[in-house]
Amino acid sequence: MAHPGAPAHATGAAQTGEQTGLWIWLTTVDHKRIGILYLYTALFYLMVGGIEATIIRTQLAKPNLHVVSAEFYNQLFTMHGTTMVFLVIMPLSAAFFNYLIPLQIGARDVAFPRLNAFSYWVYALGGLFITLPIFFAVAPNGGWFGYAPLSGPTYSPGFNMDFWVLGLQILGISSLAAAFNFITTIINMRAPGMTLMRMPMFTWMSFVVQFLVILAFPVITAALFFLQVDRFFGTQFYEVAAGGDPLLWQHLFWVFGHPEVYILILPAFGLVSEVLPTHSRKPLFGYNVMAYSGIMIGFLGFGVWAHHMFSVGMGPVADSIFSVATMLIGLPTGVKIFNWIATMYGGSLRFPTSMKFAIGLIAMFTIGGISGVMHSSPPSDLQQTDTYFIVAHFHYVLYGGAMMGIFAGIYHYYPKMTGHFMSETLGTWQFWLNFIGLNLTFFPMHFSGMLGMPRRIYTYDAGQGWDLFNMMSTVGTYMLVLAGVIFAVNFFRSRKRGPLAGNDPWGAPTLEWSIPSPPPDYNFAEIPEVTSRYPMWDLKSPERTAGIEHSHADSATITDAHAVPMHEETERKTAAELGIPMPFNTVKPFCVALGLIVMMSGLIVLHAGKTPLALAIMLGGTAFMVGSLYAWLTSPLE
Amino acid sequence: MPKLALRRLQSVAVLAIVMLALSACGKDYPNSTFSHNTELNTLAVFLWDRMLLLGTIVFVVVEVLLVYTIFKFRRREGGPAPRQIHGNAALEITWTAIPALILVFLAVPTVRTIFETQRKAPDGAVQIEVIGHQWWWEFRYPQYGIVTANEVYLPIGKTANFSLRTRDVLHSFWIPQLGGKRDLIANRTNYLWFTPKSDLTSSAWNGACAEYCGASHANMRFRAFTVTPDEFEKWVAHQKTLAIGSPAAAAAAAAAADTGKGAKALPVKMAAMPGMPGMAGMHDMPGATAAAAPEAWVYPLERMKAYTLPTTPLPATPFDESLLAAGNAVAGRAIVTNLAKAPCLTCHNIKGETQYLTDDQAKGPNLTHVGSRHTFAAGLYRTDAKALALWIKNAPAMKPGSAMPTFGTGEYNAMLKMKVSAGGLDDRQIADVVAYLMSLK
Repeated sequence: MAHPGAPAHATGAAQTGEQTGLWIWLTTVDHKRIGILYLYTALFYLMVGGIEATIIRTQLAKPNLHVVSAEFYNQLFTMHGTTMVFLVIMPLSAAFFNYLIPLQIGARDVAFPRLNAFSYWVYALGGLFITLPIFFAVAPNGGWFGYAPLSGPTYSPGFNMDFWVLGLQILGISSLAAAFNFITTIINMRAPGMTLMRMPMFTWMSFVVQFLVILAFPVITAALFFLQVDRFFGTQFYEVAAGGDPLLWQHLFWVFGHPEVYILILPAFGLVSEVLPTHSRKPLFGYNVMAYSGIMIGFLGFGVWAHHMFSVGMGPVADSIFSVATMLIGLPTGVKIFNWIATMYGGSLRFPTSMKFAIGLIAMFTIGGISGVMHSSPPSDLQQTDTYFIVAHFHYVLYGGAMMGIFAGIYHYYPKMTGHFMSETLGTWQFWLNFIGLNLTFFPMHFSGMLGMPRRIYTYDAGQGWDLFNMMSTVGTYMLVLAGVIFAVNFFRSRKRGPLAGNDPWGAPTLEWSIPSPPPDYNFAEIPEVTSRYPMWDLKSPERTAGIEHSHADSATITDAHAVPMHEETERKTAAELGIPMPFNTVKPFCVALGLIVMMSGLIVLHAGKTPLALAIMLGGTAFMVGSLYAWLTSPLE
Repeated sequence: MPKLALRRLQSVAVLAIVMLALSACGKDYPNSTFSHNTELNTLAVFLWDRMLLLGTIVFVVVEVLLVYTIFKFRRREGGPAPRQIHGNAALEITWTAIPALILVFLAVPTVRTIFETQRKAPDGAVQIEVIGHQWWWEFRYPQYGIVTANEVYLPIGKTANFSLRTRDVLHSFWIPQLGGKRDLIANRTNYLWFTPKSDLTSSAWNGACAEYCGASHANMRFRAFTVTPDEFEKWVAHQKTLAIGSPAAAAAAAAAADTGKGAKALPVKMAAMPGMPGMAGMHDMPGATAAAAPEAWVYPLERMKAYTLPTTPLPATPFDESLLAAGNAVAGRAIVTNLAKAPCLTCHNIKGETQYLTDDQAKGPNLTHVGSRHTFAAGLYRTDAKALALWIKNAPAMKPGSAMPTFGTGEYNAMLKMKVSAGGLDDRQIADVVAYLMSLK
């Protein structure tokens, strides 16, 4: 957090006064600053996960290579998956939830600003907890799926899986707290006139995702709790020798794990649904259907988990049910693809980097979606599951889908966050390197998988027909690394050097573009009154929204600058000058998160056999956590 | 720069994809899943083909629409403002209904095939118990009393019914050329059956563990041999015997010669009696004389295609190779069968030597015919004297995490994190043990 994108510059000095420095970032409860913290932290972990991936691909470039040992390779692939899912894509989405949801619904902050800070700090510290062991070669090594009984105490007696179990528990707390926060925010804090069906599509998708989180994470929490007490206290939920059932873990894990896929992809769908209409100069095609299909995907997502388990022998009836359910989920997803294309169709398309990435998502996610439907047929899936074909599939979904969408979001919202544009030249280079690199990396994996290469192998024999495909994948990975470097350069350079953006650089339709870039800490000097889905277009290009229902017959309110305050010309005032009460900065959420991590770490010490020390750490951590929590709850918010 | 560079990059992308498609055709892919070697896989390939066809159509439609839209509707200076359309119910219903229809064409054969492939195996199938271990495969033929490891023989034209269990963590049994995989789940027995098609020639295939199972998951391989029914009978007959050429078999032959035709009269129960080296397993050998022993038959090495022979490089463990030629099988047997000297028989069974373990207790592969198997260490290495010697010297250095201890004196034992000193075997002793193991044809 050395240089958080503190958006203090010539035009944006009003952001939280002139405050910069470590202490401010440690104590902030401003949703925008927390969003930026999420963004920076997740990008840091993206680098970590990317380095892990690069070592993996280097090892696999040729048959029988031994760049790293088998044991370390297993740690690498476990941590690559765990990192990218829990420390990169989810938090990158969280960065946008934090930054955008209040702005999009016309609120001054989230419902529980301090809980929001708590979520972030639990994530950041929990991420370190689970990441640091790899530097000492004791990282988790049981796969990101942690299948029992391999993840249990009998077959993983070391500390490795301790870090994983506890780390995921910690990260779950962060996600759950954030989800309740955002649900409350979206339900309660929308500006007057912002009905649910007027919410920007990103907020809609975020809303769906939060429900997925609160329904899916308790399941993994319970599953992890069983594993946790198995590992630390000798219970036998999954212990085979005692008659425990390893399939219980698989079912619980995937009841969480499949909705998790939609937790990862829906925010990206939301971001793309903001970018496409803006740069097509056309409203989102079929807004209602887009919202409903998101809900439908979320709903069906809970009924298909066992398609990850067709090879475990569930019997023909279960196989058939989960097979057909999985096919069904392709329908709402397909609708989204077609509606995005229809949004562009007939539009007036402009192709800044964000638009390129958004189109990239449509093109690439389609491949992942189609190969996903291909897994839905168990007799055929038995040849695909646990091979590189699956690796190809979910990387098209998560890289070609989620990451493309997130990059689109970053390029689109960077001017809002910093007041500056990112470089289009570097962005274009990054996009094409990403686009070609990801196809070069992941498309050959379809072949190596169907030609018999299993997943999660640290090496393979020569002459198996996989050499060429693996070499291509490795070369592609290096292109992705180069794209990542270009992105990093662009991201950091543009904070100060990028051209100034102004309030509404893209001509976008939603509320967040009505306020200055970067926004003042109070967001809206006056809470806007919303009369349609596209308030900014009502104001600037009313012809685009003429066909859409507005709440007021009286169109005067639509064009009334008072309804959508425009700060472009007015000088920025501080919250105090405007008489807006702002929540106090506080370090207490950070302290509670720290206490939580310390408490959890005690279990590792317990495993090491140092019981008195472990008790001291756990009790100390608990005392610090409870004490900080008490101080938090008894101190006023604002 | 951007315009020209973009166009160049685009053509590179197109070229790359075309090259990839070309490179995927016409070459030999020894582990391809697109094969018709079994009825089971023909059904899977049928579904795959249908999905690939429908998927390709959807892919082409989407991408063509997308690319057309991108090029047709790029913004032009002074161009007209776009017509504002916010949705179209008829269109949206259409592009939900058409995919739904496509899915019907997929769902119906899928469900039919699920029920067809998950029936009980037909009567008269060869029963094969597959037991997964970290990290090797045990194969048992209960109908024939055979226990072997890492090489499984299947008669062509006859159904093989696998019952799958695991001794430890989850594994997954997979022979890509013969059909889809099935997991080995602790505390459960899973089933998988298929029939190598009768027009198949006698061949060797690669198999692998497909479920992540720990350190050496990548090294948990095996070979499957589809052989003619005649060859299968010969293989079974041989596998049921003691190891030909082993001192135990020689002793048995001598004992049989001493008592005339007494072998048949030997009480069967003696087989299980400890302290009777050379007698165990005799009951499987009616008329157990060396002359009456069936012809030793395994899938001939010269017919093994290159891709079924492992290429794992041997470690740099030092070994005096000149000792190998002089290895003494009798001396080696004395080491292997003497628990005070080496604990081999506390994990491995060798039919014909004293058995301390039931098959279920044995943690290591059954070594009865180890010398006639083409590979060892779960298909990781060729069975030859040098590889075996290095393996005995320091197995975990050749297969990470292996439960096979480090025996070579002076070698580093990674599990105990110390050098092997007292109780280890020197190179000469290892050469003797190798000579004995290689004699277990």
